[in-house]
Amino acid sequence: MEAEFHEAISLRSDRWFAACLRITRNRDLAEDAVQEALLSAWNKRHQFRHGARLDTWIHRIAVNAALQLLRKNRPAMFDALERDVPADSDSPEAIVANAMIGSKLSRAMEELSEMERVCFVLKHLEQWRIAEIAEELGISISAAKQAVFRAVKKLRSRMTDIKSTGS
Amino acid sequence: MNDDTLTLYYYKDGLSDAERREVEAALERDELLRKRYEALCADLDGLADAETVRAPADMKERWHDSIERAARIERGREPTRERFVHLPSFAWGSAIAATLAIGIAIGFFLAGENGSGPVPDEGVQVVAADQPQTRNAFSRGLKVHLRDSRLDLANMPADNVDRSMLIMHIVQQNRLFERAAQENQSEDLARVLRAFEPVLLRLAADDVTPEEASRLQAQLAFELNVMLTKLERAASNDSSSI
Repeated sequence: MEAEFHEAISLRSDRWFAACLRITRNRDLAEDAVQEALLSAWNKRHQFRHGARLDTWIHRIAVNAALQLLRKNRPAMFDALERDVPADSDSPEAIVANAMIGSKLSRAMEELSEMERVCFVLKHLEQWRIAEIAEELGISISAAKQAVFRAVKKLRSRMTDIKSTGS
Repeated sequence: MNDDTLTLYYYKDGLSDAERREVEAALERDELLRKRYEALCADLDGLADAETVRAPADMKERWHDSIERAARIERGREPTRERFVHLPSFAWGSAIAATLAIGIAIGFFLAGENGSGPVPDEGVQVVAADQPQTRNAFSRGLKVHLRDSRLDLANMPADNVDRSMLIMHIVQQNRLFERAAQENQSEDLARVLRAFEPVLLRLAADDVTPEEASRLQAQLAFELNVMLTKLERAASNDSSSI
């Protein structure tokens, strides 16, 4: 089993890290999330169903760990949905994270609030069910939907701008 | 029908069966709606991250290393020599020593002078106005050391010799960080790290009883946790991350 973990790290850790980075927008938190996920998965490996994909299992644990770290480091984010608090895209951590992600989508996501970004990442990129997102974030299903709707609207508009200006 | 409903339809999530059928029927009969939906699909399909984010190689090494160590500890037959050179914390220690050699000042101190235990009651503050990267590297290295120590102490080998060697390894790493703190006028931090040493050495002693060992391990675990929490809080306050 140890060899399988090493293989998963070699082949899939970029994806785990990317997912955690998109959620936390903080390189150190993303690294910690993956680290915690690996140790958690290792300690619970007897619960892992053979036949399932180890890397997918670790991926999910890593995303959960990233959310927990975000909650711990930025508890206000989870109260910010109604106020639609803008994300702090100018923080050094966010700048580093965005530079690492470096995509057009990442640039477009800078204009989302924290909650919109997290809900969008979980729904669109991680393909979670809305009910799962609501449960994990401790918000109502309606609030999770609204966050996704707002994110989609903003991103469609922003991506159109990016395409038209070519920037 | 608004775009929000179409978005849920696209995701195949959040609509009841009846609502889905209603959308399907509307799309069948309303060409304008169908075009709007196709545009939405094209936009959402385009919202994918094509670029691959790569985790830095040193980060991957640390992940490999953590699994290797966890497995080794579990097997209870960690080779003695390897244990003495735990690469991540050794690397951090070496990095700190190098930092000292080139004389970069790190203002790192722990507020509070409560001498009742190794860890002061007040918060930890990290101050280095003009060297944030160095400060972060130091702080991160210290966190790695504290976390590794906590993990090692929670998974102590049953064999006395192995246990003593593991503890001596922790002591050596601890001294590196203590020295780094001391040479940078971070007396409070140095004092906290120094206070760990007698507890560690007592734990490594031949005549320690299982009850005493258990008490010492619990004490160290508690103090390491407090220290880590304060460091994380300080880092969070300092950077107001994300």
